Amino acid sequence: MATCCSKQTELAVSGNAKKVALVGNPNVGKSVLFNALTGAYVTVSNYPGTSVEVSRGNAVIDGQQWEVIDTPGMYSIHTITEEERVAREILLHETPDVVLHVLDARNLERMLAMTIQLIEAGLPVILVVNIMDEAERMGLSIDLNRLQQKLGIPVIGAATARKRGIDEIRSAMNSYRCSCEQQRFEYSRLLERDINEVTCLMQGEYILSHRALALLLLQQDEEIVELVRQRETVGYAPLAEKVREIAFDRRESFHLDLSLERNEMVRQIITGVFSAPEKRVVTAAERLSRLAVQPLTGVPMLLLVLYFGLYQFVGVFGAGTVVDFLEGKLFEELFNPWIIGVVKNLVPWEIIQELFVGEYGIITLGIRYAVGIILPIVATFFIFFSFLEDTGYFPRLALLVDRIFKHFGLTGRAVIPMVLGFGCDTMATMVTRTLETTRERVIATILLSLTIPCSAQLGVIMSLLSKFPGALAVWGGCLLLLFIVVGLLSARILPGAAPMFYMELPPMRLPQLGNVVTKTYTRMQWYFMEILPLFVLASVLLWLGKITGFFPKMITAMTPVMASIGLPKETAVAFIFGFFRRDYGAAGLYELQTKGLMDARQLTVAAVTLTLFIPCIAQFLIMKKERGWKVAGAIGMFVSLLAFGSGYVLNKALLVTGLLS
Amino acid sequence: MICGFCGFEFDESEGKKGCGGCHGGCHSVHCPRCNYKNPLESGVVKKLKTIFGKNGKNKGDNK
Repeated sequence: MATCCSKQTELAVSGNAKKVALVGNPNVGKSVLFNALTGAYVTVSNYPGTSVEVSRGNAVIDGQQWEVIDTPGMYSIHTITEEERVAREILLHETPDVVLHVLDARNLERMLAMTIQLIEAGLPVILVVNIMDEAERMGLSIDLNRLQQKLGIPVIGAATARKRGIDEIRSAMNSYRCSCEQQRFEYSRLLERDINEVTCLMQGEYILSHRALALLLLQQDEEIVELVRQRETVGYAPLAEKVREIAFDRRESFHLDLSLERNEMVRQIITGVFSAPEKRVVTAAERLSRLAVQPLTGVPMLLLVLYFGLYQFVGVFGAGTVVDFLEGKLFEELFNPWIIGVVKNLVPWEIIQELFVGEYGIITLGIRYAVGIILPIVATFFIFFSFLEDTGYFPRLALLVDRIFKHFGLTGRAVIPMVLGFGCDTMATMVTRTLETTRERVIATILLSLTIPCSAQLGVIMSLLSKFPGALAVWGGCLLLLFIVVGLLSARILPGAAPMFYMELPPMRLPQLGNVVTKTYTRMQWYFMEILPLFVLASVLLWLGKITGFFPKMITAMTPVMASIGLPKETAVAFIFGFFRRDYGAAGLYELQTKGLMDARQLTVAAVTLTLFIPCIAQFLIMKKERGWKVAGAIGMFVSLLAFGSGYVLNKALLVTGLLS
Repeated sequence: MICGFCGFEFDESEGKKGCGGCHGGCHSVHCPRCNYKNPLESGVVKKLKTIFGKNGKNKGDNK
């Protein structure tokens, strides 16, 4: 049998750089391995004549230059899809010095058939048995040494997502030497005779072995037929006749026979190599995953997550302990008095002093709000969010709520914008475009703008209301009730059927500290960089409003509205702040409470109204962009009326019942 | 990168970027399968990873 040695020497690309192609089924970790090998400098371009993208990068391993090619996913070298054709084209025309076949250790039996084909084709294969960590967790055992002996090629176990095995792959690439005694996998006598009859008639030089080509010809692979026709020239006619004759004789079952024989080969290879526990090991993660999606256990689990994650960690710790320290101690007692003194000494004009350190000053209000109040809440929220995200809980949540969301005309898929809405409603509104139907998008946009508070708002409200027994329950109850009522009504009023929802669940896993820290830091960094200029701008606008007399007039104009829902006129400030940004409004509410301007009833009414209140400018603009002026205007109007209407009803209800008095 | 929602593995370049919704530029990659918004690693984190050579000292199942 021809081996890869001669061909690689003969056909290798000129220059010192070697080529390595990553091949394998889709979603086995090729891209992760590609990134680990290449780093940041990568080019992505369409493969000539196709719309299939191929990534290429460079790597230097112990002084050896490598060009790394990430091929599209393929299941077999007998190609069906355009992606598979491109992957094979790369193997055929780019003459890689090494082919890294990446497969999923959990599906070793199913994927080894392609390894056999690659070896059979005479390619310089190194096998990477990836996702070993998950396989081990499932109790699967793979004897890599034995597998290497049976296949006759280097075999490396890896978990590329966890950076395990990368060094060994690099080292194997550099030290790869073609074996002139490559493993030969024997088919049945009948099939061997057919292969032999075809290969005997082949004279041309090819990248793939004659044996592999013979099998592809017998499978009527059009591109291979064309390739062989061009290479064999005069000798092609008898070859084609022989292929036609065999194909006709075996027309009923060739593909099936070949597939069965390869499966049998794989079975023989994995005997003594692969073992699975007799009774499938149900891991703790799998058990937890099942509990998370079943309503009877999933709902209590969700409540526990919300209680410990949102209430205790974000609300009590972030918005309580940390904010008290940062805002109360650091800013109010130390930083503000000092900076006020500095500015007043440096700037003689009172009006400019006001701009920086006045009631609505850039430093004393804008920066204090951003750093003292919003930053600790958002930080704790993002830690909680990233932690939960890294465990793989969110897709389970989507499955859990799918049944409930169906009543609102939504599916579990709507969990994505809803969950993201707790981070920022503006960005979540944009993500509603991923929902399948316009109806779903409109319903999700309404629910987002109405009942999903952003993290900062949520943290402040939880921290403030937890000081009054029952207040948090009233606030939560109101929002939940409105979420259900508005959801049900929207589903009735807007015509259409809810589409189907299904998704493949990724495994649940212990969150990795590095991932949580990185994601939290990244989210916080962008969030902070986004809010800081806006908070400064809002302070400038409020300062302008104050010196021109516009802001006090606005507060006076809103006084009757505030009075109608039982709130002091100063609360109007928080509502005006809230229109700039939801989190800015929440910080305003925090300030009002610390000044002792509101009792438990008023605080609860203000919190409910402010949560439901018209979305901030940014969210409104995105609503307009996504849904158009008419729908955005209608939603804005509806949400504002409903917010104040609910505030009015809640205030009356609390006064009548004497609850929270 | 691996999508934080559906677990789909994809390259940063395969994800959708720049929908224009975020002020101050796009700092996320949307998963090509479920469209979940995944945060892009900031330059500081990338630099730190390079300094500590996160990819350089990993052991596998040696042959």
